[in-house]
Amino acid sequence: MQQGHKTTGKTFAFLSSVVILLLIWWLVSLILKNPAVPPPLDALKSFVSAIQRELFTHLGVSLYRVLVSLFLATIMGVPLGIFLGKNPEIDEKIAPMIYLTYPIPKVVFMPIFLIVLGIGDTSKIVLITLITFYQILVTTRDAAKNLEKEYVLSVRSLGAGSWELYRHVYLPGCLPAILTSLRLGLGTAMAVLFLAETYATQTGIGFFIMDSLSRMNYEGMFAGIIAMGLMGFILYLMLDGAEKVLCAWKQRAS
Amino acid sequence: MEHNYISIKSLKADYRQKKQSVVALESVDLSLPKGQRGVIIGPSGCGKSTLLNVLAGLNQSYTGQVLVDNQPPICGGKTALILQEYGLLPWKTVWDNVILGMELRKKSSPEIKEATQKVLEKLGLLSMAKRYPVQLSGGQRQRVAIARALILEPQLLLMDEPFSSLDALSREEIQDSLLKIWEETRVTMLLITHNIEEAVFLGQKIFVMSSCPGHIVQEIENRMAGDYNLRGRVQFLEMCNQLRSCLRGGEYYAAGA
Repeated sequence: MQQGHKTTGKTFAFLSSVVILLLIWWLVSLILKNPAVPPPLDALKSFVSAIQRELFTHLGVSLYRVLVSLFLATIMGVPLGIFLGKNPEIDEKIAPMIYLTYPIPKVVFMPIFLIVLGIGDTSKIVLITLITFYQILVTTRDAAKNLEKEYVLSVRSLGAGSWELYRHVYLPGCLPAILTSLRLGLGTAMAVLFLAETYATQTGIGFFIMDSLSRMNYEGMFAGIIAMGLMGFILYLMLDGAEKVLCAWKQRAS
Repeated sequence: MEHNYISIKSLKADYRQKKQSVVALESVDLSLPKGQRGVIIGPSGCGKSTLLNVLAGLNQSYTGQVLVDNQPPICGGKTALILQEYGLLPWKTVWDNVILGMELRKKSSPEIKEATQKVLEKLGLLSMAKRYPVQLSGGQRQRVAIARALILEPQLLLMDEPFSSLDALSREEIQDSLLKIWEETRVTMLLITHNIEEAVFLGQKIFVMSSCPGHIVQEIENRMAGDYNLRGRVQFLEMCNQLRSCLRGGEYYAAGA
């Protein structure tokens, strides 16, 4: 019963937020009276029309780039992060390198990647992977480092070896932090994706938005913005759902 | 002659604290016969947990002789360890926590299922099998930790202040349960506690430790331990007082002597 009230409350809050955002958008378009900010209804109509034509292909390309990048960043960042968190003596040697390179805005390497890896998907995927990899690596390492020592001791006392500790303690224990870093990484990945798709490419939503802008097709531009927003939102929802399933124990705690 | 299940001679052990090695134990001699309940009591920081970690095979950084059933201690052998905060994994249900040790020992699924049902039933936890530790009370969590240890049918049960976070009544209730389990299994037990009453109620042998670095200053044979009605008796209170003064630096003298 209480759970039902909670869900209804959440749905109501979500729908209210959507209505408020649409209202703000509509008011801004009314105040500015600028074709660059069309009213929500016009933009939505344009989105529905564009998605039935070329926007769908661009959306597919962008989705592919983001998903592959996040996947690569995860399969590299998670094992390495857990390994460093579990082995502080090795982390001590690696940490200065991470500390030095983490704050560098990796997006500045985009021209180098374009030259070295070409203008295809590879350069864009490598750039997004590199940026999100750091976020996942650092968050996972810190989570593994701060894991309760009692968990490790108790499972070791049962006879667990190194691999079993990863499987039963470190990976599930770090999972909430990994999913949080993925959610944060997703936001960054979308921003970098937009930037990467505005140069030397003719595919992707970033290209679609900038191409519409150059042709002063503002409604088309907004259709691209909506597509990118929706893509980010749906991916975010999927990560949220994954957390509910994979970290059910956290839900019970709250 | 009684066979000593635990035999420790001239043990010196370190533990790591902020990248430094600290001597936790020095010249520790301790022996506990098979099937007895030993209790270690002493001030905070006297190395009690380090001693238990050595016996559980978790701390290999020691010198001297440590034998458990005539063998150097190893992890995952015939020894089970229950930690202060129980060491239950919050992401596993009660059932999954309990079966973990058997899974690690590569037991067959039917064997695991049968043993788990049996041990959960014995400890009154069967209805909570699908719950997560966070959904349990302190006493219930403690029972899960005991179930996880007992399912492995250990020969030695080590417990590091297992009842310290329980309220007084739950603590007494679970002390009684532990005693019942011991009566059924006759497992050798070594328990660390800060609680004088607990030491007198449970410990057939009480080892009093000094601090910095820890060593055994007194070994007390306690013949009244294990009587369920002991707590209200005058002798019990007398012995508690004697142990208290011993911990404060005085000498212990046998009750009635």
